[in-house]
Amino acid sequence: MTVVIEAAPARHGLLRYAATKAGGALLSIAMVVVATFFLFRMLPGDPVRALAVGRNMTPEQLDLERARLGLDKSIPEQFLHFVGQTLRFDLGTSYEYKRPVLDLIGERIGPTLLLTGTALVLAVSLGIWQGARAGWKPGSRFDRFSTAISLVLWSVPTFWLGLLLLMVFAAGIGPIPGLFPTRGISSVDAPDGFGYVLDVAQHMVLPCLTLVAVVYAQYLLVMRSSVLDEVEQDYITTARAKGLKDDDIRRRHAVPNALLPTVTLVFMRIGFVVGGAVTVEAIFSWPGLGQLFYEAIRVPDFTLMQGTFLLITVSVILMNTLADVIYHVLDPRVRSV
Amino acid sequence: MLVWFLPMIKRWLGVLGALCLVIAIPGTASAAPQEATQSARKVVKVGVTQAVDSMNPFLAVRLVSGSLQRWMYSFLTVPDPKNLQPSPDLAESWTTSPDGLTWTFKIRTAKWSDGQPITADDAAWTFNKMMTDDAAKAGNGPAVENFTSVTANGQELTIKLKAPQASMLDIPVAIVPKHVWEKVTDIAKYEADQYPTVGSGPYVAVEHKKDQFVRLEANKDYWQGPAKIDELQVIFYDNPAAAVVGLKKGDIDLIGRLAPPDFESLKGDDNIVQWNTEGRRATYLQVNHGATTSDNKPIGDGHPALKDPRVRQALHYGIDKQKLVAETQNGLARPADGSIVPPLYKSFFWEASGASKIGYDAAKANQILDDAGYKKGADGIRTMPDGSRKLAFRFSIHTDAPSEEKLAEYLTGWFKELGIQLTARRLDSSKFTEETGTTALFDIAISGWSVNPDPEEVLGTHLCSRRPTASGQGGGTESFYCDPQYEDLYKQQQKELDRPKRADIIKKMQERLYADAPVIALYYPNDLEGYRKDRIASITPIPEDKGLLYGGSSYWPFYTVEAVTKDAAAESDGGPNPGLIAAIAAAVVVLALGGFVLARRRQGAADERE
Repeated sequence: MTVVIEAAPARHGLLRYAATKAGGALLSIAMVVVATFFLFRMLPGDPVRALAVGRNMTPEQLDLERARLGLDKSIPEQFLHFVGQTLRFDLGTSYEYKRPVLDLIGERIGPTLLLTGTALVLAVSLGIWQGARAGWKPGSRFDRFSTAISLVLWSVPTFWLGLLLLMVFAAGIGPIPGLFPTRGISSVDAPDGFGYVLDVAQHMVLPCLTLVAVVYAQYLLVMRSSVLDEVEQDYITTARAKGLKDDDIRRRHAVPNALLPTVTLVFMRIGFVVGGAVTVEAIFSWPGLGQLFYEAIRVPDFTLMQGTFLLITVSVILMNTLADVIYHVLDPRVRSV
Repeated sequence: MLVWFLPMIKRWLGVLGALCLVIAIPGTASAAPQEATQSARKVVKVGVTQAVDSMNPFLAVRLVSGSLQRWMYSFLTVPDPKNLQPSPDLAESWTTSPDGLTWTFKIRTAKWSDGQPITADDAAWTFNKMMTDDAAKAGNGPAVENFTSVTANGQELTIKLKAPQASMLDIPVAIVPKHVWEKVTDIAKYEADQYPTVGSGPYVAVEHKKDQFVRLEANKDYWQGPAKIDELQVIFYDNPAAAVVGLKKGDIDLIGRLAPPDFESLKGDDNIVQWNTEGRRATYLQVNHGATTSDNKPIGDGHPALKDPRVRQALHYGIDKQKLVAETQNGLARPADGSIVPPLYKSFFWEASGASKIGYDAAKANQILDDAGYKKGADGIRTMPDGSRKLAFRFSIHTDAPSEEKLAEYLTGWFKELGIQLTARRLDSSKFTEETGTTALFDIAISGWSVNPDPEEVLGTHLCSRRPTASGQGGGTESFYCDPQYEDLYKQQQKELDRPKRADIIKKMQERLYADAPVIALYYPNDLEGYRKDRIASITPIPEDKGLLYGGSSYWPFYTVEAVTKDAAAESDGGPNPGLIAAIAAAVVVLALGGFVLARRRQGAADERE
């Protein structure tokens, strides 16, 4: 009975907690919108001139472009226009592609979520699994080996590793055949149906591998250190005293308690999933948001940069808020504070 | 609560391992259907490192989109493959009124790819759209700026001009079918993504996946007869190094516009032809010789010494262009003894010779500076004749541009010998453009331009009218140049319809730039490309004598390209069998996985025994 009585106020508290957090997130987003506007106006250079580099554009045409982009208006006018647009979920029109930024993002968010999402799941799984085992028996051969490998991969520049994998496993070197494609998300003449799924999977192996290899160390290390903390706890000793199997103690007692810091980390990373992996997408010509952002910087296409920047920041804020709330649910200690 | 998590992870890893095997074995995924379909079709795959910005010719600005337009649509005229002179494309013939203000083009009798006849009305609609709809000016607005009216009568197209324009035969506008395009309500928002497209060029686009590829099929109704291949694929790579890997592997058959290091990495592959010819670009120094706005007010903070033509000339003498090419371009460029038009365009190219030629001569440069009164101080650095300022110049280059970095090093060394201090100033691209094109906050800057078969565009970038206003409006200058003699010559060449005479005037303009040195040409980078000879049997460049494959202003190379037939290709397809190797690799992985699982089982049992 006591359980029921306690649960009601707790749920109430959760709602209030979530509402506070959501309010804070909204405030942050509002500040980000304002900051985004001024940040991108502060950047040096006339976007229209930048767009016209190496192109035949008459002065009249340059002025026409400035008017088209609303750059002939005063800063306060531009700001009001921008805020109004953003509130209507209109991120403006790309200078370079001459299409709505939201459309461009919509086309590329799928491939990005597929790649970075898969990589996140794999990296988290691999990190947690290895981290838990490594932390359970610190100093063991497994611990030294897996921690060392993950740290080496963590230190390797993404660009270098990606190109290396591309040269070895896509082009093939010596006896190693070029098993994987060199670019993109699918072949030009990819079959339909299940064949297409396999084709995409084949294209995804190398970029996914690069992403996982570079980031899984952080999950491993966080998991390892929190398992390490749990090993010394009294409840573990109690569990041992009860005669439970070592594997079971780790799985059922230590790991669930040690998972909390990792959950926070994972949710923070989910926010960045939306932003894609600029470097990896650029190496493997993956048609995602990271590539779009890269192109936007290369041009430079200010509205597009502004739009993708806004999207990434907002998703990080939202995911952080969600992490806070979930943490609240998962860990009773947070609730009592 | 989260106990289920760990065993799940293990299972996932297992599933993933298995999936990897399936994917890695060629034949299980896409490889098999690919080969089946390709044996019947002749396909050529072109790699590009630029994504298509728009399939709408009224909006697109990128080179890759321009190439696609040449393949999908006919233009009024096209550079002749032999000598790059304007030759008939959609216009069979043309006449000009004596005052040069009325041009009449006869449109050839041909069909759009959907079977509709092509008439002058299509061309008139295209030009009128650009003249009346600001949105349609985004891609090629300047092309119609000088037009008063465009009218059609059957196959006869009449264009009336405000002022004579000799470059009328190089109008970079794709003629689109009126019956398709007049239905478009808002040109600014139209993506032209109805496939197959309706066009009049050698190819018809049948599929476009954004940022990935464009698939084109030969236009069976093309007025010159269908192309020799069935399909042309344009495959996008974000990264040149990956594209080179793609070429070596055979994922693509040709790639153009390579940087020297990527080009050199193709060396030693027997199946790849390294294509190294004269390019369409000139690289030059832009010298702030006293920048002014379009209403002739000084702007910027250029060093006063650079206003003196003698100082600019001394700088020119102080540059060893041969060495520059060898050290910064891997020798894959031609040192410039001319100006902004590269030698690829033989009829317009001008090169200094005899006494007017400025070669590397540090002693002479020092002499010029001594005579002009710029005395060396105790530190070896010269000062202004009135002693007010040292000759210390900034050199604006781009950040993350290793070859410019190297260039700066060499120039700094050579200028030091002249008693001139040069300091590199690294700027990101938008700040660079702002400072060197609008606010004139520079002394010397690196620059360059890709030139079209008709050089009017690049010549126009040095006109008085291209200077920006004080508030930064207008613009488009490459030098802040404003010289009465140059202006006058520009107007003359605009009126001159006789090509050799016009070429003479254009050469005089280059000579003026060379002598007055608002820009100092350094070198002409080569056109560097690579293609697989086991896939491409033959391809004709433009111009036919040592020209460009990809990136020229013509459909010619990709209209004439011939693919290697499958039988011939099969013979040369040696090497180890990838399928067999993959199978062996798979077996090894399976064994390793099996061993791992077994070992884990033992470990588990040991844990239980503890």
